[in-house]
Amino acid sequence: MKSALAILGLILAALAVPARAPAEEVTAEYYRYRGYEMSSGYYEEYEVKPQYNRPFVLERHERRGVLAYGPAAALVGSASRQADSHGSLRFYAGIACAVCHVQQASNNLHVVRVGLACRQCHGGEPIPGNEHYYAPLNRLRRHAYVCSKCHQGAGYSFAAYLVHEPDPSLAATAQSFPVLSWAFWIMVGIAVLTFALFLPHTLLWGLREFFPSRGKEDEP
Amino acid sequence: MRIRRFTLAQRLFHLLLMLCFMLQAATGLARMYVETGWGRSLARVFGGYESALSVHKAGGVALLVLFGLHLAYLVFGVGWRRLAGPDSLLPRPSDLGDFFRHLGWMLGLRPEPRFERWGYWEKFDYWAVFWGMVIIGGTGLVLYDPVASSRSMPGWGLNVAFWVHRIEALLAIGHVFVIHFFIAHLRRRSFPMDRAMFEGSVDLAHARQEKGAWIERLAAEGRLDEMSGQEARAGARAAYYAFGLSMVALGLYLLVGLLANAGRITW
Repeated sequence: MKSALAILGLILAALAVPARAPAEEVTAEYYRYRGYEMSSGYYEEYEVKPQYNRPFVLERHERRGVLAYGPAAALVGSASRQADSHGSLRFYAGIACAVCHVQQASNNLHVVRVGLACRQCHGGEPIPGNEHYYAPLNRLRRHAYVCSKCHQGAGYSFAAYLVHEPDPSLAATAQSFPVLSWAFWIMVGIAVLTFALFLPHTLLWGLREFFPSRGKEDEP
Repeated sequence: MRIRRFTLAQRLFHLLLMLCFMLQAATGLARMYVETGWGRSLARVFGGYESALSVHKAGGVALLVLFGLHLAYLVFGVGWRRLAGPDSLLPRPSDLGDFFRHLGWMLGLRPEPRFERWGYWEKFDYWAVFWGMVIIGGTGLVLYDPVASSRSMPGWGLNVAFWVHRIEALLAIGHVFVIHFFIAHLRRRSFPMDRAMFEGSVDLAHARQEKGAWIERLAAEGRLDEMSGQEARAGARAAYYAFGLSMVALGLYLLVGLLANAGRITW
């Protein structure tokens, strides 16, 4: 009887453990928050249940932790949260994207190899900030609205790919994307060690055979 | 007189590995260098940027299948017992000693060491393929279908896999096209090409000079006649030279293009 109760207790306890769920977008329960979110840029985390987050990739403009949504985290007026992220710029109409976004236009294989234009992902005017609630590139939906235009079936996790990849050789990348930085430097280290050992070895070998001594040891 | 050095199966594995590697190098560089005229011309051979990726994926699968077949060959064809013998490609502590003795000879400090059947550099080349297959093959599988992969791993893992794949591929290309080609074909004793991997046998005088301990062991065991082989016909030799040297030329073409255009692409 006791063991049966213990098993029943374990089953009930197991039911209380949340199951792993694939990424899914859920409706906010309290609609009154939506206006608050749109104006402030703070989105309640419960609105999306990602299966995989990005623990090793530092997100700009985002704080996690006990006081993730505290007032100090606010970046009021941040263009990344505005419906028209370029609305406050003067002479905007005559400026090409790459004039200001130099780095984003160059560290981007979608642009330099495939030839995609910025607007094919970021949308037409007015271009909303990526953190804006209705932006196609908002993390909530970028996999469905943007990535899957070319990568059919792209899910939330797929959208965690960094299109604007930081240069892995830079020290700053060790802070923002440490896994990439470590992987890069380990692989470069292996390559450098291999060549540092075998290139002089090969050169010396070639020279030794090219200029054989007349000594007895070289006779077959 | 010639001495048999490679079996038919080993030569076939090397031939297929060489063809797959060349294909992978050419299609991979075509993708990587598509920002340059050289890369675009390379990609055109395979039908363009997108087609080069399809060929690259097919070549990668072929390489992985070949690797699996080789593992099966090791287990069922060679057997574990032969791994311990002197004909084994397994690294031994004496290989380290051979390396330093060889280095001493290169520097003119000591006589040339007498190597067994496989030199330390040949063992390195052999096991480097295993390392490369695990690294390049593993990351290649991840990148084969990034959407499917991202269902089992975070999407930023694709950034990491891409860089690991790329650096390991460049390491393999550099090692094969510079170090392996030079040692096997371009140094004075092997010039213009070591036919052993195509023909299966090596000239006895050459083997005595390069692998003295192996020939001494065969002679002491009375196996020299048993291991002797026939020289290939003139037509076959010409075909070996034509094919082998064209592969060397292709490799050097890819290497020069890679180095000359390295500053013109987005890394």
